[in-house]
Amino acid sequence: MPPLVPPFVLDVMLEIPAGISILFGPSGAGKSTLLDCIAGLVRPDVGCVRVAQEVWFDSQKSVDLPVHQRRVGYVFQSLALFPHLSVEQNIAYGIAQRAPQERSQRLEEVFQAFGIADLRRRKPAEISGGEAQRVELARALVTDPQVLLLDEPMSGLDEELKASIIADLRAWRTAKNIPILYVTHSKNEAQALGDRRIVMRAGRVIDQESAPMQG
Amino acid sequence: MKLAACVAALLLALGMPIAYWLAYATWRGKFLLEAVVALPLVLPPTVLGFYALLAMGPHGPLGKFWFVAFGHGLAFTFGGLLFASMFYSLPFAVQPLMNAFEGVDPRLLNAAAVLGAGPWRRFASVILPLSLPGIVAATVLCFAHTLGEFGVVLMVGGNLPGITRTASIAIYDNVQALQYGEANRMALVLLCFSFVVLAIVYGVNRHARRLWTPWTGR
Repeated sequence: MPPLVPPFVLDVMLEIPAGISILFGPSGAGKSTLLDCIAGLVRPDVGCVRVAQEVWFDSQKSVDLPVHQRRVGYVFQSLALFPHLSVEQNIAYGIAQRAPQERSQRLEEVFQAFGIADLRRRKPAEISGGEAQRVELARALVTDPQVLLLDEPMSGLDEELKASIIADLRAWRTAKNIPILYVTHSKNEAQALGDRRIVMRAGRVIDQESAPMQG
Repeated sequence: MKLAACVAALLLALGMPIAYWLAYATWRGKFLLEAVVALPLVLPPTVLGFYALLAMGPHGPLGKFWFVAFGHGLAFTFGGLLFASMFYSLPFAVQPLMNAFEGVDPRLLNAAAVLGAGPWRRFASVILPLSLPGIVAATVLCFAHTLGEFGVVLMVGGNLPGITRTASIAIYDNVQALQYGEANRMALVLLCFSFVVLAIVYGVNRHARRLWTPWTGR
């Protein structure tokens, strides 16, 4: 019997340095699948995912670190804020195990960095699209991830909001020296943010280039 | 009331892992367990009661085990009635819980996992609170369904005043004895209770939907 879902071949060998790498490519190129493989939400048949000195996945050595142990920051294509929690509780979710003092300090840092301190008591249904986008970013970054994955995090936002969030991200990139993989279809976003561009098509990387460093 | 409260509490504890497994397991044969859980919905209560009675009888596996463990039989006792009622009301716990668990947006579970939450924390902090309407529905439906039980109770529990006599059997007894006034009083209490229970379920569902609307764009 033929499989219900045709198999998807993702054949990628990439080394991603610190800074923002823009992932370009048409729909179905495998960009989101690549991010899911890194995060551990999709299990590749064969291959290896290594971050710094840590091996997160290695099919040969049967290593498969569970998603919740990978220390990934991930902003999904469609927003996934917990609807029953306030903005503050959403952002604090990933640092619940930290000491109370450290937690408060980290929360204050991201509230100030993303300009969302006024929203802390509101529920996700009570904030706008741009605000929700910021809360998502703040929630992903507050955990101090080892790698940040952003899957079209600004689709559907107006230009003014995009510029403001781009500024937030650039400031964060300067402060935290971690690899950031950013999926977008927008050339403006790519130019404003990317230290490096990776072009994918049909599950393969077809081009890589470094861009001049932005502020 | 005592039986209904015990059944509702125990079925909530038992129904959650079953519903969780049915909602998230990828095993192909899980429809078999779904069919077993749904059996009491289609089986006549007397059939269910008959097999429960056989299982709890002195030669049945459950009855033998109970005798060895506690020194007395299980049939026609409150414990026996509890067992049979739990199986009879199982779908009323599992179905709403399963629907509620399945209704939780998988993106939220992925987000929780990425934020460092293991399976238990994901269940406690995302699945459970977002399934509250289903949990309320399951509890209330189990309670109400057990309260109105008749066939299974009669087969397994008999009609022992103070031990296994339930409200619905007491109404039947009163009608048989032509005591329509007493039967009417009890029936009215059950009717009002059922209405209040259903109103609570629908009210909670409506409130939860309003509170926990996911962000959909503004």
